[in-house]
Amino acid sequence: MKKEINFTLNGNPVKIEVMPNEKLLDVLRDRLGVKSPKHGCGRGECGACSVLLNGKSIRSCITLAIEVDGQEITTLEGLEKNGMTELQKSFLQHNSFQCGFCAPGMTITATELLNKNPHPDEEEVREAIAGNLCRCTGYQNIIDAILDVSKKE
Amino acid sequence: MERELKYVGKRAVRIDGLEKITGAAKYTDDLDFGPSMLYVAVLESPYAHAIIKNIDTTEAEKMPGVRAVLSGKDFPEKFGLYLKDNSIFPADRVRYIGQQVAAVVAETPAQAEAAVKKIKVDYEPLPVLQNPLDAIKPDAPLIHPDLGKYEVVPWLYPQPGTNIAHVRKIRKGDVDKAFKEAEYVLEDWYHVPHVVHAPIETHISVALYSYDGRLTLWNSTQSPHTQRNIIAHSLKIPHKNVRVIASYVGGGFGGKAGISMEVIAAVAAMKVPGHPVKLRWTRKQEFQNSSQRQELYAHIKMGVNKEGKIIALKHELFWDVGASAEYGSNVVNATGFSATGPYYIPNVYIDSFAIYTNRPPCGAYRGFGYSEFHFGLESHIDRMAKIIGMDPVEFRRKNAIQRGQPVAYGVEMNPTGILECIDKVAEKIEWGKENKSPDPTKVRAKGFAAVWKAPAMPPNESSAAFLKFSEDGSINLLVSGMELGQGFLTAMAKIAAEELSLPLEKIRVELPDTDRNPYEWQTVASHVTWSCGNAVRRAAIDARNQILDTVSRAYHIDKANLYLEDGKVKCYTDPEFELPFEKFVIDGIEMPDGTYRGGPIMGHGMFMPEFTSAKVNPETGLGGHPNVHYTTGAGAVEIEIDKETGRIRVLKMAEAFDAGKAINPDLVEGQIVGGFVQGLGTALWEEVKFDENGRILNPNFTDYKIPTALDVPRDMNPIIVEVAQPDGPFGARGIAEHTMIPVMPAVANAVENALGIRIKDVPITPEKILNALREKGQENGN
Amino acid sequence: MNDFDYAKPVTLSEAISTYKKYGDKARLLLGGTDLVVMLDDGVIQPDIVIDLKGIDELKKLEFDGEFLHIGSRVTFNELIDSEVVKEKFPVLWEASKTVASTGVRNRATLVGNICSAVPSADSAPALLVCNAAVVIATDSGDKEVPITEFFVGPRRTILKPGEIVKEVKIRASNKKFGGSYIKLGRYDGEDLAQVGVATVVNEDREYAIAFCAVAPKPVRAKEAEEFLKGKDLTDEVLEEAAKLAVKAISPISDIRASKEYRLYVSGVLVKRSLKTSLARMNGNGPKYGERLV
Ligand SMILES: Cc1cc2nc3c(=O)[nH]c(=O)nc-3n(C[C@H](O)[C@H](O)[C@H](O)COP(=O)(O)OP(=O)(O)OC[C@H]3O[C@@H](n4cnc5c(N)ncnc54)[C@H](O)[C@@H]3O)c2cc1C
Ligand code: FES
Ligand code: FES
Repeated sequence: MKKEINFTLNGNPVKIEVMPNEKLLDVLRDRLGVKSPKHGCGRGECGACSVLLNGKSIRSCITLAIEVDGQEITTLEGLEKNGMTELQKSFLQHNSFQCGFCAPGMTITATELLNKNPHPDEEEVREAIAGNLCRCTGYQNIIDAILDVSKKE
Repeated sequence: MERELKYVGKRAVRIDGLEKITGAAKYTDDLDFGPSMLYVAVLESPYAHAIIKNIDTTEAEKMPGVRAVLSGKDFPEKFGLYLKDNSIFPADRVRYIGQQVAAVVAETPAQAEAAVKKIKVDYEPLPVLQNPLDAIKPDAPLIHPDLGKYEVVPWLYPQPGTNIAHVRKIRKGDVDKAFKEAEYVLEDWYHVPHVVHAPIETHISVALYSYDGRLTLWNSTQSPHTQRNIIAHSLKIPHKNVRVIASYVGGGFGGKAGISMEVIAAVAAMKVPGHPVKLRWTRKQEFQNSSQRQELYAHIKMGVNKEGKIIALKHELFWDVGASAEYGSNVVNATGFSATGPYYIPNVYIDSFAIYTNRPPCGAYRGFGYSEFHFGLESHIDRMAKIIGMDPVEFRRKNAIQRGQPVAYGVEMNPTGILECIDKVAEKIEWGKENKSPDPTKVRAKGFAAVWKAPAMPPNESSAAFLKFSEDGSINLLVSGMELGQGFLTAMAKIAAEELSLPLEKIRVELPDTDRNPYEWQTVASHVTWSCGNAVRRAAIDARNQILDTVSRAYHIDKANLYLEDGKVKCYTDPEFELPFEKFVIDGIEMPDGTYRGGPIMGHGMFMPEFTSAKVNPETGLGGHPNVHYTTGAGAVEIEIDKETGRIRVLKMAEAFDAGKAINPDLVEGQIVGGFVQGLGTALWEEVKFDENGRILNPNFTDYKIPTALDVPRDMNPIIVEVAQPDGPFGARGIAEHTMIPVMPAVANAVENALGIRIKDVPITPEKILNALREKGQENGN
Repeated sequence: MNDFDYAKPVTLSEAISTYKKYGDKARLLLGGTDLVVMLDDGVIQPDIVIDLKGIDELKKLEFDGEFLHIGSRVTFNELIDSEVVKEKFPVLWEASKTVASTGVRNRATLVGNICSAVPSADSAPALLVCNAAVVIATDSGDKEVPITEFFVGPRRTILKPGEIVKEVKIRASNKKFGGSYIKLGRYDGEDLAQVGVATVVNEDREYAIAFCAVAPKPVRAKEAEEFLKGKDLTDEVLEEAAKLAVKAISPISDIRASKEYRLYVSGVLVKRSLKTSLARMNGNGPKYGERLV
């Protein structure tokens, strides 16, 4: 049975009818056209689908869309509303990504980390992004980019 | 005259960087096709080997939302890249668990899934073969009884009446004699299990068939033109009517080379003209129904003389290629030619067998078989060095192949920086310097490996490039190599920039569309920088000649006195002369009489390595020129082992590769680090596990562990060596696959150096370490 | 995923009555990190999912001077961020840090972890050595069950349809103590435990030892604890304790490790954990949260 939900998506109100068994990831991508969260595993194992729920990173592939009724969701599209963030600029300068498929999830997770802990050390960065799988880069350029931002502010 | 390079070899922000960092980059699943889209679900075989007695789709056809149901009855065609032994849907028998037997096209994914469950299939189970050493036995049941009837390229030799899809032999010198003369002989077996590519983006294909017979596919692929060719050929559609549009690829690693599930999307679309249809693999399907890496059982016998020279090598490779060898047979072929590793060995005997089993089909995987055979070979090298009492790095240096020495099939080795790679890695890892762990339960040690790899390609592989100027002097460069993350687009732009002396911002190079972009064989074999790079270079030179020609004709200046700089034509003899490209590259140059000279400038170039030939004597492997060149390199690790739990951590790595010329040095370093980490996964954790029926036990990231940010060395040292490849663009050759090859043996060698135990079977798990320690303890009578 | 209805009650009594009405056709939802995966796999096909995240009283994370109350909505990251948990319940804090990774821990709850009752539940050994109690709300009022009685077998607890875990309660120790949780996974990244061991040592030479992932349910090693009581941790005592401790477990071989490896390494890790706990009590051990394998 469809239910109407209301939530904030990247700062804008959204009203949409969903089935209780629809996943947040699918609703964002297929019904709301927000494509930055990616489908990598669908089981919470890879982090490619990460979005912020009230500022905290979650895996939208194991979240029911109906659960976010009344909540605030931020995706990569929302982070860069006022232009690229320092973190994004740093990723760019470090050529942090290769295929780029993990980039949106990685950026969400790293953004949460820097919001919570603006000056993490290398191990804290590794801990924070450990749930975001990247098959291409070996992580080094991603970590260097995050550390660079943490040193700047 | 040696020109100073402005773009090639300089650091730069990759040209696909912005799109990827902002989330704007479109991967295939990100494209919108509107509400008429239909969805495909496939029925998978529950048996690893069975006869299909009957398929009944009537109930499925009646399910809500169903538009079409497809099975082997509709599509009897065989397909494949090198050996056409694969079917879209098998009509007669299934050969692995998860093989697609039928498919449903429906309005929603859920409807398609529901309908698939209603398809009834009668199977008659057959004996299941899971081990290539069993499958090669004379009395083994046949997995492909029709092997003799399949279409095959002339340089593969299927053995009808057996499970051997191909055998590559090398017979050089006289190994038997050499073993008798050798001072030291060592013989042993090594094993490398199946692993998967595990790109974070799974396979996906969207296909649209129009009523006028046009088939368009949007694929996540490494091989747009090859897919077009295979589809056109097997489905008997004119090539002009098949169009493959490639989006960004979320990781390939060989898994998206050639063709696999895309044919299902194609045939599904043909059933529902006018509707785009989408097929996306789940993570589980990605494990069981895209290709895997071959499993290898390798038997090595090596003979060394008093001086420490390797004089004989017998290397037998028994590859499990799974249920289809359409692509994997070429892995077997390529490694058969190269299983000496980067050493000069006068007497060589190699047998490389492609053996069918009832496991998922295997194919290209970063390294193309070289990782697997180097594990045994480089383990063996270390052991041999110990036996003869020589430092293993010194032993490698002493035997490393040099320019001009013959490789196993007789052709001369290309220029190579292997010694420099070995030396630089040894220096960086501080070879020979002991480093004690502060924790008494832990031991530290180092391990080393040297490697090589050649691109494995048919002799007539080719690349083409086309570039056209616009009014403002900018260019669109059209190529069909794929940006997989390796930096292909950036490299091609730099090559064009260098030849045309045109700033990078003035060059646009994008992902291919086979209707628009010229031919490229495939983005595999680490060959596109070299092959497509050569094509781009020729296209740029072609355009440059047109430019110089036009200017020379219009201004009556000798062509030899003209040159290009920063988007302008200049003259050596007249420093005042300066003509920006935008003044003439479309509109031409106005003459005093009001007429014009020139016209639109567009360059084209193509490259085919015309010196290669796969025609060799099948019994000796000699007489041809199957490979274009080898890239060499070396790698080393420093590890720490917890003696109580067996857990291994890699603390430090150094890897050096001879890139000839690094077009994008920072991206080359990125390849080295990324490839090392992928190799580390296979050294320590990754293995596809099967139950006794052939079912995969770990088709997910919960139990198939790929490295995370916490599992990689904190100290990683990528090193670039540059000994130019004479026929490479600016001297470049490929390095991307190579970077994962040294890791398995380097770690195994480090384990032996730490604990005196030899693990001959990857992944090197804590459990194997503890078992080996226990056995060693028993041997020592403790 | 099958079609199901969704309810988000705002009071516990409302939740209980809905749960009662649907019985075993209903499933409770907290972070969903187990539940949604099970729904997706189709291994459960409920008629209704009852989301408990609308119930305010379940958000409680409070130390009342004697007990720590962990409401069922409290996530592992909230436990990690809590000063009082870190200070007074450091073993639970250490265990919480080993669960999955931050994106999962932002949703995954401690109560969801024990209610899933997988043998590898990382929070279980810590709760066992702390003698935690589970407070269960039923339509006839709350009841309190010691954690030792809560687990029944793999994926099975004593809970019956209509019963909802409200909170987990842990008494703070008033003695000087040290503890540790060691999780052995296949690697340092996100993984499920091959073996998990928690131990606590206090100034009166009382010991507690518990395991996960090496028996059908998380277990205490009582015999070893009895043996250790009052003893100093000499090498011989440790050896004997480890021997007794592994008698409490009955590991199986699965995709993550063999039975033999689990047995052997459990002994190794018990010793390591006990030594670490002692050193921490004495103020010279590794910091809580530092990697011990
Ligand atoms: C990628 C990934 C990694 C993971 N890694 C780990 C790990 O390292 N260690 C580990 O221990 N676990 C791990 N898990 C499992 C899971 O995250 C934990 O078990 C988590 O604590 C479950 O909590 P939850 O809030 O998500 O529970 P839910 O999924 O919401 O619920 C779990 C179960 O408890 C039932 N339930 C919920 N609330 C109640 C209640 N109040 N009363 C009674 N029953 C209730 C539900 O019906 C369900 O059966 C992992 C999961 C994922 C997806
Ligand atoms: S897609 Fe959600 S975690 Fe992988
Ligand atoms: S860049 Fe490809 S997965 Fe991270």
